[in-house]
Amino acid sequence: MRTATDSVIDTYMKELQQELRAFPATRRREIVDEVREHIAQARGELDSENEAAIRTVLDRLGEPSEIAASARERFGIRPARAGVLEGVAAVALLVPFIGWLLGTILVWLSRVWTTRDKVIATITVPGIWLFGLLGTLASSTSVHVSGSSGPPPPTIEPSGIERVMNIAFAWIFPLGVIVVPLAVAIYLVVRARNLSDAATA
Amino acid sequence: MSDMVSADKEGMATELRRGTLEYCVLALLSKEPRYGFDLVRALGQVDGLVTSEGTIYPLLSRLRRDGLVKTSWKESTSGPPRRYYELTPAGKRALEEFKGEWDRFTRAVGRLLKSGRKS
Repeated sequence: MRTATDSVIDTYMKELQQELRAFPATRRREIVDEVREHIAQARGELDSENEAAIRTVLDRLGEPSEIAASARERFGIRPARAGVLEGVAAVALLVPFIGWLLGTILVWLSRVWTTRDKVIATITVPGIWLFGLLGTLASSTSVHVSGSSGPPPPTIEPSGIERVMNIAFAWIFPLGVIVVPLAVAIYLVVRARNLSDAATA
Repeated sequence: MSDMVSADKEGMATELRRGTLEYCVLALLSKEPRYGFDLVRALGQVDGLVTSEGTIYPLLSRLRRDGLVKTSWKESTSGPPRRYYELTPAGKRALEEFKGEWDRFTRAVGRLLKSGRKS
């Protein structure tokens, strides 16, 4: 049965993993395993287990960011902090095509964002374009099919291309050029602020 | 004002800890192999040495990488097996060197502080 104390510990361990993400996996696992073991033993010694007692154990261990800062210092790993590169990347992503390309390259060069963030930043904008294009093609095809099922209408129907363009200008352009890139940029800025390492004490 | 003084004092303790903590760990391991939790608790009994217990684990990891300690798993009577840390010959040498250096250093600084008080 999962208790409130379990979830307090889970949160702590997740945070520690996250803070140690710059470390090679084996070293990260070594530190994380030892801390987990420490908690298990401290927990075993408690007279009565309650959330306050567990929080005291975690307080004595120190903040995950503190442990990570000390680990970085011991192993000479530079802290990852959001700076000019991350700022330029987020702004560049707002400019279609060439800006998006530049921004994507910068995003991948950054040490701040996680791989997941980078993948999200890379595929979202092309994804919405592809989605929009396919959607538009599909809807124009279905219009075309329904139109051709009956007798051909005498009036010149707007060509498929024209329909595609209409729909494209109506929503893909605003969405793909402004809304989605803006959402991606905001997401990246928020993540960069959360992920920046604390200064070494 | 008192805040500033205590902050300075804290900074001073941090500086002193920085260079000496790893040798305190080696010294604790020189008598017998210990597992992490046991080691942390022993360090915790020395006043002012460890503020955040969790920071000992990166230190142990680093000492291991530097070949000053090695680890082995041992069964425990209560619960899962534990990772024990023990000194390597290189760790013993490093500890001996530090002891000599520390004696010289504390004597020199002690003399200096005393002479400062008289003048």
